[in-house]
Amino acid sequence: MTGEAPLLSARDLHKTYGPTPALDGVSMDVRAGEIVAVMGPSGSGKSTLMHCLAGIVRPDAGELRYRDRNLITASDAERSALRRREFGFVFQFGQLVPELTCLENVALPLRMEGVRRGEAERRAAHWLDRLDVADVAGKRPGQVSGGQGQRVAVARALVTDPAVVFADEPTGALDSLNGELVMRLLTECVEQSGTAVVLVTHEPAVAAYSHREVVMRDGRIRTSAGMVQ
Amino acid sequence: MTGGPASGAGWVRQLAFGVRLAFRGGATGWTRVALTATAVGLGVAFLLLAASVPNLLSARDARESARVDYLQHLERRGDDTLLLGFVDTQFHGIRIRGRLLQPEGPAAPVPPGLTALPRPGEMVVSPALAALLSAPGSELLRTRLDYRIVGQIEDEGLSGPGEFAFYAGSDRLEGWSGVQRLNAFGDPTPGDGLSPRLMLLVIVAFVVLLTPVVIFIAAAVRFGGESRDRRLAALRLMGADRRMTRRYAAGEALAGGLLGLAVGVVLFLAGRQLIGRFTLWDISVFPADARPSLPLAVSIAGAVPALAVTVSLGVLRKIAVEPLGVVRRSAQGRRRLWWRLLLPFAGLALLAPLFGGRADTDGQLARVQVGGGAVLLLVGVVTLLPWLVEAVVRRIGGGGGVSWQLAVRRIQLDSASSARLVSGVAVAVAGAIALQTLVAGVESVSVQDTGADLHRAQVNVVLSEGATFAEAKKITSRFAATPGVRSVTGTATSIGLVAGTDQDVPFIMGACPDLREMAEITRCRPGDVFITEHDPESSDAPEPPRPGQQVTVEDATWTIPATVTRVKGRRSPDGGVWRGAVLATPEAAADLAAKPLRLSLYLGLDRSDPDAVELVRNTAAEISPLTQVYGIQEVQVDDKFAGIVRGILVGTVAILLLIGASMLATTLDQLRERRALLAALTAFGARRGMLTRATLWQMAVPVALGLVPAVLIGTGLGLALLAMLGLPLHVSPANLLVTVSAGAGVVALVTLASLPVQLRLMRPEGLRTE
Repeated sequence: MTGEAPLLSARDLHKTYGPTPALDGVSMDVRAGEIVAVMGPSGSGKSTLMHCLAGIVRPDAGELRYRDRNLITASDAERSALRRREFGFVFQFGQLVPELTCLENVALPLRMEGVRRGEAERRAAHWLDRLDVADVAGKRPGQVSGGQGQRVAVARALVTDPAVVFADEPTGALDSLNGELVMRLLTECVEQSGTAVVLVTHEPAVAAYSHREVVMRDGRIRTSAGMVQ
Repeated sequence: MTGGPASGAGWVRQLAFGVRLAFRGGATGWTRVALTATAVGLGVAFLLLAASVPNLLSARDARESARVDYLQHLERRGDDTLLLGFVDTQFHGIRIRGRLLQPEGPAAPVPPGLTALPRPGEMVVSPALAALLSAPGSELLRTRLDYRIVGQIEDEGLSGPGEFAFYAGSDRLEGWSGVQRLNAFGDPTPGDGLSPRLMLLVIVAFVVLLTPVVIFIAAAVRFGGESRDRRLAALRLMGADRRMTRRYAAGEALAGGLLGLAVGVVLFLAGRQLIGRFTLWDISVFPADARPSLPLAVSIAGAVPALAVTVSLGVLRKIAVEPLGVVRRSAQGRRRLWWRLLLPFAGLALLAPLFGGRADTDGQLARVQVGGGAVLLLVGVVTLLPWLVEAVVRRIGGGGGVSWQLAVRRIQLDSASSARLVSGVAVAVAGAIALQTLVAGVESVSVQDTGADLHRAQVNVVLSEGATFAEAKKITSRFAATPGVRSVTGTATSIGLVAGTDQDVPFIMGACPDLREMAEITRCRPGDVFITEHDPESSDAPEPPRPGQQVTVEDATWTIPATVTRVKGRRSPDGGVWRGAVLATPEAAADLAAKPLRLSLYLGLDRSDPDAVELVRNTAAEISPLTQVYGIQEVQVDDKFAGIVRGILVGTVAILLLIGASMLATTLDQLRERRALLAALTAFGARRGMLTRATLWQMAVPVALGLVPAVLIGTGLGLALLAMLGLPLHVSPANLLVTVSAGAGVVALVTLASLPVQLRLMRPEGLRTE
C-alpha cells in the first residue's frame, strides 16, 4: 500500500478559528483502499482535519492535493463537484433529510449529479439492500431506528462509488451493538470497492477497524501508527 | 424539578420555572426569546396604534371643530366681531390653510392656538409653514405671503403637527365679498360623521388590517418550537410528567408573550414620538393624540399573553413529549373539510340578512354583524388553508428537480407548518381584495368625473369681490403677462332675477372669444346676446327668459333684447355647463359692464414649468389676497373617502411588510433548526442554488395554494359588502392581479432576504458538534 501514490496528500496544513489554531502544521497521506482513523480528544482538531481533507473547509496555509488536483486553489464550485463525485460522507447523527424517504435520501447524491430519478432510486435500492435496510426504503428517517438510520447514511455515502468516504464519529450516536454492525458493513463495502476511508472517532473500538491510526492533540499529529487488523 | 405535580403552589412554581426556562439556553435561547418578543412586540405596537385611532380621530375632530369659522354670518359689527377672509393656497402641491383676520372691536374672538390677533401686515404661522418658508426654494411662497411672522400657531389650533397654516392680520376686509363676520370660533353642533357606506369601509378596513396582525402574533409565539420540544423532552427525562411539561411550556410562552407585550409598549411609545415627524398624504398626527383607548389597551394586555399560552398548548396537543424525544402524533388522519367550511359559511350567514342596502339603516347591529362576518370569512382562509395544502401536495409526486422534491416532501411531511407560514399573507390578500372590491364600488358614488378638459385650461382663478369689465380686462392682461401662462379666457358672472318672477337666471358677460368657451356660438359680434338652452333631460327646469323680459342684475335692470340668439351650452374648461343662462357681450349691457361682477378666468399654462401655477397664485395674491386659484381636476373625490382610501393603502402596505417580517423570522427560525442538515448537504456537494430554490419552492407552493381561497373568499366578502350597500356587483381583474402579485412579491422578498442567512448556515461550521 505504501508504494502507491496517495489519493489525498496534506502537507503542513494550518487552520485557525478566531484565536484558536485548529490545525497547526498537519501532514498526512491517504491511499486508495486505506482506512485511516483520526483519533484524539475533543477540540484536538480531528474534525477540522477531516473537513479540510474533504474540501469542505479551505486551510489557511499548507498544501493539499487530491490526485493531481490542488484543493487549496480549487474554487468552491470545483470542490463541491469533487465532493459530489469522488467523496462520500457519514456524520454522527446521520443528517438524513427528514422529509425524504430513506430511498430518496440515498438517491439524493446521484440526483444532485443529474442522474434520472428512476436510475438513482434503482441504485439506491441496491445499496440499501447491501446494508440490510431494504425494508425501510419507503420510511422517513424519523420512522426508523438510530442504527437503521446510520446504515441508510452509509448507503448514501457509498451510492456514488466514491474514492474516499469521510466518516465523522459514525457510531457516536449508536449503542455498541449497532455501532459494530455499522462499522462492519462500512468496512466490508469499502474493502470490496477499494474505497479509502477517513474515520474520525475517539472510540478505540471503532478505530480498531482501521488500517492506520493518526492521533491528534492541539491541532498536531502526535502519533501515526500502522495496524494489522 | 420544581414543585409536585398536584399542588397549587407547585402549579405556579412550574409556570414560573417555564418563564425562567425561556431565558436560559445561552445565546441561542436569548436569540429565540428576542425574536419572539420583537415579533410579538411589532404586532402589539400595531394593535396599540389601532386602539389609538378612536382617540386620534376624536382629538383631531375636536381641534378642527374648535376652529370652525365658516358657520357664522353676522350682519352687524360689534365690539366682539371679527372679519375673516379665506385665503387658502397651495405651493407645489402642499395645501396651506390661510385666514385673513380683521377685528372690529376689542373683544373680537381669537382663533384656537393664537394668544392674540396678528396686526395688519403680520402673520402667525404653523411650525410646518415656518419651516417651509425658511427653506430654500420657497421664494415664490415668501413673495406671496409677504407678512411679518410674529408667532407660531400652538398645537390646539392645528389639525396635526404637519399642517401648513397661517393667520394674517388685515385692515382691508370691510365690504369684501366672501368675507365673513363672526364673534366666536367653533362648531357647537356635532359633526355629520361618516356616512354608513364609509363607516362600513372603516369597519372592514379595521378587520382586514387587524386579523393578519393577530395571526402574525400567533405565528411569532411559535418561534423556536423544535428546540423547545427538545428541552421539554429533557425535562421529561428528569422526571417531569406530561402536565408539568405543559405548564413549563405555558410559562415559556407566557414569558415570550409578556416580554413581547413590553417590547410592544416600548415600540409604540418610541414610534409615537416619531409619528409627529411624518406627514403622509396630508395627514399628520400629534404624538399626544396617539393614546390607546383604555378598554382596548386592557384587552390587548390580556389577550396577547393568553394567545401566546393558548397557541403553545395547542401545539403541544399535536405532539407527545416523551423522555427520549418528541413524537409527532401522526395518527390524526387526513384533515376534514366540513368544519373548516363552517367559519366562512357562518360569516356569510351573518352578512346575508344585510344584503340589499339594509346596512345603511341598521346602525350599530349592522356594524357588529359586518365586523363579525368579515372576521369569520377571513379566519376561514386560515382554517381552509391546511386542508387545501395537504389535499393538493398529497397528490404531487416527488418528480421534477431535486429542489422541487425537497420542497414538496417537506410540505408533505408538515403541511400545517407550511400553511401556517403563509396564512398571514393569504388573509392579508383576501382582506385587501375585499377592500378593493368595496372601494371600487363606493368609489363609483364618491368619485365623480367633473367633465373638465385639461387641454383647454389647467387653472381657474376666481375674484369673488368682483371687477368691472374695464378692471377685468386689466386683470386678464396681468395674468396673460405672468410667466408660464399660455392663454387666458374669462367671464364676469352674476345671478340675476327675472322681473316679476322668483326665477333666477345666470348672467355671464364676456367678449366673443370668452363667450365661445361657454356656449356653442358660431357667429358673435360686439353687442350680441345669447341664451343657452336648458338641459333637455331635465323636465322641471324653468323656461329661459324671453326677449323683452327684464332681468335685475346687481341692482340694475336690463332688458333682454329682441335679437337674442338661443344657443347650446358648452362645457367650460372645468366641466360645468351653464343652462338657461344669459350670455352678453359688454356692448350689449353697458350699465352692467360698469358694475363689479364676480370674475372667473381660465388659464392655460406651460405644463412643463412647475413654477407656472405658483407664479399665477402670486399674481392672484397681488391683485387681492382673497382671489381663489383652483387647479382644474378631471375627477372630484369626496375628501373623507379619499382619506379612508389613503389610510387603507398605508395600512395594507404596513400589514404586508409586517407579515413579510413574520415570514422572514419564521423562515430564519426553520433554517436555523436545519443548520446541521444544510451544512451536511453542502458537504455532499449540494449546489447552493439548489438549496435556495428548495426554500423558494417551499414557500411558493403554499403561497400559490393560499392565494386560491384568499381570492375566492376576498372576492366573496367584497361582493357581499357591495350587496349590502345595494351597489352594483363588480370585480376588477386588474385589482385582483395587483393584490395577488403583491402577496407573491412578499414571498419573493422574504426568500431574497433570507438568502444571506441561508448561505451562512450552509457553511461547514454547521457540521461542528464539539
